Amino acid sequence: MGNRVAICAVAQTTYERDKWQHRFQGMALEVLESLLKQTGLGFSEKNGIGMSISVSDDIFDARTISDNAMTDVLGAHLRCEEKVAQEGAQAVYYGLAAIMSGHTDLVLIIGHCKESQAKSRNMVTHLAFDPFYTRPVGMDFCVAAGLQAQAYAEKSGILDEHLADVVVRARCNAANNPFTPEIKPVSKEEVLKSPMLADPIRQLHAYPVSDGAVGMVLASEERAREITKNPVWIKGVGNCMDRFFLGDRDLASNFALKKAAQRAYDRAGIKNPRSAFDVIEISDQYAYQNPMWIEGLGICDEGKGAKWLESGGPDKFKVNPSGGMLAGNPLILGGLVRSAEAALQLTGQAGERQVKDAKTALAHGVMGPAGQFHSVIILERD
Amino acid sequence: MQSVKDDCFIVEGKLALPYQYFAGRTGSRFLISLRDKKIMGLKCDKCNRVFVPPRTLCEQCFSNISENWVELKNKGIVTGFTIVRYEEPYQTAKPPYILALIKISGSDTPIAHIVKGIPLSKMRTGLKVKAVFAKKSTSTIMDIDHFRSDEKPKFELGFTYDELEVGMSASFTKTISETDVYLFAGISGDFNPMHLNEEFAKATPFGTRIAHGALPQSLIAPVLGMKLPGLGTVALEITCRFKAPTYFGDTITATGEVSEKIEKKRWVRMALTWTNQKGEIVAEGSALVMPPAPMPQEM
Repeated sequence: MGNRVAICAVAQTTYERDKWQHRFQGMALEVLESLLKQTGLGFSEKNGIGMSISVSDDIFDARTISDNAMTDVLGAHLRCEEKVAQEGAQAVYYGLAAIMSGHTDLVLIIGHCKESQAKSRNMVTHLAFDPFYTRPVGMDFCVAAGLQAQAYAEKSGILDEHLADVVVRARCNAANNPFTPEIKPVSKEEVLKSPMLADPIRQLHAYPVSDGAVGMVLASEERAREITKNPVWIKGVGNCMDRFFLGDRDLASNFALKKAAQRAYDRAGIKNPRSAFDVIEISDQYAYQNPMWIEGLGICDEGKGAKWLESGGPDKFKVNPSGGMLAGNPLILGGLVRSAEAALQLTGQAGERQVKDAKTALAHGVMGPAGQFHSVIILERD
Repeated sequence: MQSVKDDCFIVEGKLALPYQYFAGRTGSRFLISLRDKKIMGLKCDKCNRVFVPPRTLCEQCFSNISENWVELKNKGIVTGFTIVRYEEPYQTAKPPYILALIKISGSDTPIAHIVKGIPLSKMRTGLKVKAVFAKKSTSTIMDIDHFRSDEKPKFELGFTYDELEVGMSASFTKTISETDVYLFAGISGDFNPMHLNEEFAKATPFGTRIAHGALPQSLIAPVLGMKLPGLGTVALEITCRFKAPTYFGDTITATGEVSEKIEKKRWVRMALTWTNQKGEIVAEGSALVMPPAPMPQEM
């Protein structure tokens, strides 16, 4: 890649079931103030932040163009602003492109979402379906995940027991993550007895509903050196959008993730993903996605997710020491939270969940029914 | 003391916006056909693929296929499914219900729809289904009200390996008559006088005629083969140790209980007991059986 771009600071609120006493603007402000404090940056036309990128979902915010009435807390008042409504990881891609193109040298990203505002998260994801063929039959992301989980379990031999182990581990890791204060450890038996939502997905297999905000500052190499001693370089980003209709896809094939990963690996010059990363943060919205996305990333052989789990793969490859998405973060923020988490790991700021001497990390985001869209970001410190 | 949560106000709201959507030229033709109870697909001759829902361009080669309609059968096969167990206001069926991907016969791209007419526990990929059309048209995919299992099993098979649990038991009871013993002698060729000759039998330790041991023993067959696991079971081994004689007129109960599930082979071991009307144990033993596999498609 030409101009190098770095993550210079990250900030997030805690992720909680219902931050009813905070407006989403308030959550964004908390992130903005932390980022400005960490970097000492301002918004001067001359050498301040040149572009703000908001990550938000209009339906969750219950207003269209939901960023336009909160530009003050996005650092975008009277300034340049963009909105990413697809998935948080895309804001990193946007920011990277803006800096590499030379249009600006400092980008602020702030994502927010209050899933608790809507009566149900499923009602929001239901609206992602077309009104003729899929919405009328009652599709939502949870049903789509159920269909994918069933197909994947059949292919990879993933059993209820495996999925319970994934949840137990995620929640155990979350206990070390100060941003997920409400997530309590569970026993395997509790997971196995948890009610079914969409077979084989149980209630405890699904990422908890949460409210929160996350942000980061991206900078060109020159500016990054001024701002921080610990820049985290964006080595490569890749994404892929799969077909819309579930029946057009092989749901267990990881088609889009494989493409996204390969694009990111090629750009980052990674030949063997199995030895490339010290820490991996994936957006596992449902327990089955943890081994499935790992297969898609090429960290284990295709169809061998069950074996990978049994042989201690998650700990060996340091997958989601934060607890991952199973420990909770709002839908649209997944990839951005994972990127922020990876940056904390690479700058030695991950506290009790710190992976020792982590130098290279992979962050992953996903959106759309049954993993239609995947985004993979490779990060590295000096 | 004033807390940060005092005097906070939550405003109730609702997004509700009636819409009109244009279904598209291609989509319109599909929906009009559906109203007439015909499922139509669009075929790409180049890629040899038939698309449902229809689309104007082949998603692989981008050829315009919008005039290449093919009429499909109102039948299909399930390629994937989930069981929806949570309730949401937009659902058209009451949970729990089956939502499946169904490949309509003659098409290559399964569609998502509701499947009925099969117990949730028996649902599987590969199930043949047929479309049940709605009584009233809504000009959406819901002109197919749901799909229904199109497989009429000739036989209700017994419990599969996965359905069996240790501790499940079943039994069969029958009174052993003189006729049974004489018929069994003919069947087996065992005309031993201890079973057929009262005068001879008086001289034996039993003092009277007794049934062939294999006769009460055989009463376990209806248990294993017709009750537990039931139809479709293959008996691999039956052992039996006789503890007491069976006299004419005795009422024998043969009981089988699942004692062990052998995961590796997916076989089941059963503990067997035979008791008479007095509760005495006539015989004990064990059986190793292969429970029926889930119903094959053609049945």
